[in-house]
Amino acid sequence: MSDIEIEIDDKKYSAKPDQMVIQVADAAGIYIPRFCYHKHLRVAANCRMCLVEVEKSPKTLPACATPVTPGMKIFTKSPKAIAAQKAVMEFLLINHPLDCPICDQGGECELQDLAMGFGSSHSCYEEGKRSVKDQNLGPLIATDMTRCIQCTRCVRFGEEIAGLCELGATGRGENLEIGTYVERTMQSEMSGNIIDVCPVGALTSKPFRFTARAWELDQFPSIAPHDCVGSNIFIHTRGGEVMRVVPRENETINQTWISDRDRFSYEGLTANRVAEPHIRIDGKLKSTDWQRALEFAVLKLQNSLEKKGANELAALISPNSTLEEFYLFQKLLRQLGCDNIDHRLRQIDFSDSFFPRANFSLAELEESDGILLIGSHLQMEQPLAAVRVRKAFLKGAAIAAINPVDFRFSFSLKEKNIIAPHHLVNALAGVAKSLCEMNSKSIPEFLKNSSVSETDKKIAMCLFSKKNNFILLGALAMNHPEAALIRALADFISEMTHARVIHFTEGCNATGAYLADVIPKKGMNVSQLLADPRKIYLLFNVEAEDVANPAAFTHALSQAECVISLSTFKNELLEKYADVILPVAPFSETSGTFVNVCGEWQSFKGVAKSFDESRPGWKILRVMGNLFQADGFEYESSEEVLSSLREESRLSEESRLSCQRKLASSAFKKDTGCHLSQKTLGWHDNMLSRIGEIPAYSTDAIVRRSEPLQKIQNENGLAAARLHSHTAHELKIKEEMIITIKQNQTEIKLPVKIDDRIAKQAIYIPAGIPETNSLSELFGKVEIKI
Amino acid sequence: MRRLFKLIKTFSLWELLMGLMLTVKYFFKSKVTVQYPEERTPNSPRFRGIHALRRYPNGEERCIACKLCEAVCPALAITIEAEPREDGTRRTTSYEIDLFKCVYCGLCEESCPVDSIVLTRFDDYHITQRGQNILTKEKLLAIGDRYEEDLAKDRAEDARYR
Ligand code: SF4
Ligand code: SF4
Ligand code: SF4
Ligand code: FES
Repeated sequence: MSDIEIEIDDKKYSAKPDQMVIQVADAAGIYIPRFCYHKHLRVAANCRMCLVEVEKSPKTLPACATPVTPGMKIFTKSPKAIAAQKAVMEFLLINHPLDCPICDQGGECELQDLAMGFGSSHSCYEEGKRSVKDQNLGPLIATDMTRCIQCTRCVRFGEEIAGLCELGATGRGENLEIGTYVERTMQSEMSGNIIDVCPVGALTSKPFRFTARAWELDQFPSIAPHDCVGSNIFIHTRGGEVMRVVPRENETINQTWISDRDRFSYEGLTANRVAEPHIRIDGKLKSTDWQRALEFAVLKLQNSLEKKGANELAALISPNSTLEEFYLFQKLLRQLGCDNIDHRLRQIDFSDSFFPRANFSLAELEESDGILLIGSHLQMEQPLAAVRVRKAFLKGAAIAAINPVDFRFSFSLKEKNIIAPHHLVNALAGVAKSLCEMNSKSIPEFLKNSSVSETDKKIAMCLFSKKNNFILLGALAMNHPEAALIRALADFISEMTHARVIHFTEGCNATGAYLADVIPKKGMNVSQLLADPRKIYLLFNVEAEDVANPAAFTHALSQAECVISLSTFKNELLEKYADVILPVAPFSETSGTFVNVCGEWQSFKGVAKSFDESRPGWKILRVMGNLFQADGFEYESSEEVLSSLREESRLSEESRLSCQRKLASSAFKKDTGCHLSQKTLGWHDNMLSRIGEIPAYSTDAIVRRSEPLQKIQNENGLAAARLHSHTAHELKIKEEMIITIKQNQTEIKLPVKIDDRIAKQAIYIPAGIPETNSLSELFGKVEIKI
Repeated sequence: MRRLFKLIKTFSLWELLMGLMLTVKYFFKSKVTVQYPEERTPNSPRFRGIHALRRYPNGEERCIACKLCEAVCPALAITIEAEPREDGTRRTTSYEIDLFKCVYCGLCEESCPVDSIVLTRFDDYHITQRGQNILTKEKLLAIGDRYEEDLAKDRAEDARYR
């Protein structure tokens, strides 16, 4: 349809026919007051603040719900419009308490602002005001429901974006109340956004409660460091201290939302930090100054290298490090002659090589019409990708999942196959084979033996003959012992369905790690480095909870002769075994760059003052480089590091992308049948296998230390072994029983919870939490003793 | 003639007597000098001396940590830290006024929505050691407790002009 012309305040503007008046006005920079309208939510038109005068209309009309018509003449500031807006304001203030001084929204409140513009200084209303009882919505959101102006933005957010109708309105008119019907904690992983959408102080942040005023805060742009989506955020600081995190709009990445993990993890930033450099003298860890610590570290490393050789050095770095840190880390190590460098801490299968970069924007997920989730708890792992998938679902996309647990999603699955991890590859092969049949292609050798079940066919149907398909691989696929096969099968399916594949990696900067070459080229990978322990370990923000096999990690450190750790947080294990601990600044205190899964390079600056003696990682690595007299460590700023990395990686990024698929399918051909790999793993069809998910609030060191997030996580009794009732019956296990779980040589005791969302033949034991930290791998055979 | 007149004036000590007249006049006039510190000059209920934090009659502190005084203070003399108290109410954990910075403008009192921070009439205090210039929350509350009666009276007196 062609554009139409309308007139606002005597000026002509062109508009799209399906636009509302308020959208045209916003685009033209004409301000119309509003409370209930939000550009990413459905129009409700229940606050009436946006009334404007329209020519030929006897009454004023709400701008947010009036579609434009050709030749329309709108007056936003005519006496009639202003009078209507003032009247609405007076009505709204009738029931609003006068408690701005104790309200956290004070200073950034839309009602306050508009009352300044449209309110009158006195009210004709003398009767009693209404008051509403507050509800406890959990550790993240504080409520003062008396302040609610019933705009229903929060309700609409839950219905439309979060996909979880937790808040709702009860009653009518003056008695309309917003609440959770039955008092309970909000379960949504996006719940924090209702704090932002609420125009008044009815919903505010609980961890931030009463600690600062909006006018005291400085706002700095930054990037969220917890998932590979790379949400844009603002960090608010006061006196150099991080006070809170709010979303920064970026239409292609996070729109105006961020996940609770990104919003509330800041609470962990200053908890439990390493304050000063430490060195071990005569078996005791002592704090010291930087000069001595660095010299000690370099000397120790040099000595051990001379004695043991560079192949005895293992270098592990957290996938949440910045690009600059990655680059200097590998540069230093490669100059020391060591290639045992890895960041893929939770992966096990390295038999293929791939590059986790999608060359399209996340927003394109919205337009898809078929999506296959493989081993993905998308909702918790990548909440903002889930928002997009939900949008696609609402537009009618068929979504299927092959998962070991029937996870809750904000969209419904058309088809699902809930199977134990050791059947994952077969299930995927079944889908691949049935797609071959549907496309009447010849079935390749490696799929000949695969059986195709009804479910496989139905899942294949979700992708078959659709134009815009996506395959999303989650952590449970990427960390799977047969991940290479899964990736290769995903590629195979994508070729047949023209689907685009996204590998959702762990951490926020895995793509950056690949770009900076923080993977072994000829050396050993992380699995080998832990299975076949080395004598020297150089760790960069690596904790036992971060690796696939915490037991092996602990053992490796215990037998090493030299352990040097650059860490942000205190950690018992490291305090026990490390010879040197150097305090590194987290993302809020250092400048750096994260590359998200779509290949967007996003740089940010350090915004908070550094905690005690901690220093940005790139500076520490640079000085270490200088002390080793390595070449090319004369950087003055992180920008310089970045530009030299940019030059080196420009070529490799192109070549990586082009060779991605080729390499993946060649890895696949190494195994001629899907069952084959299982034999090498010592698996059989009837075993009980572990589902080792990393819960959303245990993914990295910062979230693990964020108190409010931990409270939420522990509310549901995470430290338990969950089983399907069928499996439990076979094993003669009952709810609440304490069982001993044996995996390889490790053993722990956990209570049982019966949960029918878990696949049969599988046992869900989360990792990354202290209770299960002494277990070994995330997946694999598990034995149970009662 | 004029010389004679001058001579008489000189020998009759006329000038001296004129001077003494003034002395005598002031001798009988009512006195304005006060015996400080036993006696004090009167001052207005709006006098702006040292600060105090007031309490409600039931003993609850008035301040709700709204930080308006901190924001309005032209000398940046006020520093406040706040937190939810155990009962969930909004309270300060620290409230400090730097007397060296304060210019005794009284804007903090004017901005306070609950009449918590006030300026008392008390103005003679001294600082002998570094650090004493910082009035902490405890000190401010103590001053408030001590002068509460006067403070309440002064505010009541001034109420109709506010
Ligand atoms: S709680 Fe806030 S967002 Fe929800 S209806 Fe009330 S005012 Fe609107
Ligand atoms: S009297 Fe004026 S300068 Fe002194 S603390 Fe109050 S506002 Fe600040
Ligand atoms: S003294 Fe008054 S203005 Fe200052 S923070 Fe307390 S309540 Fe607010
Ligand atoms: S913004 Fe239009 S009615 Fe609320």
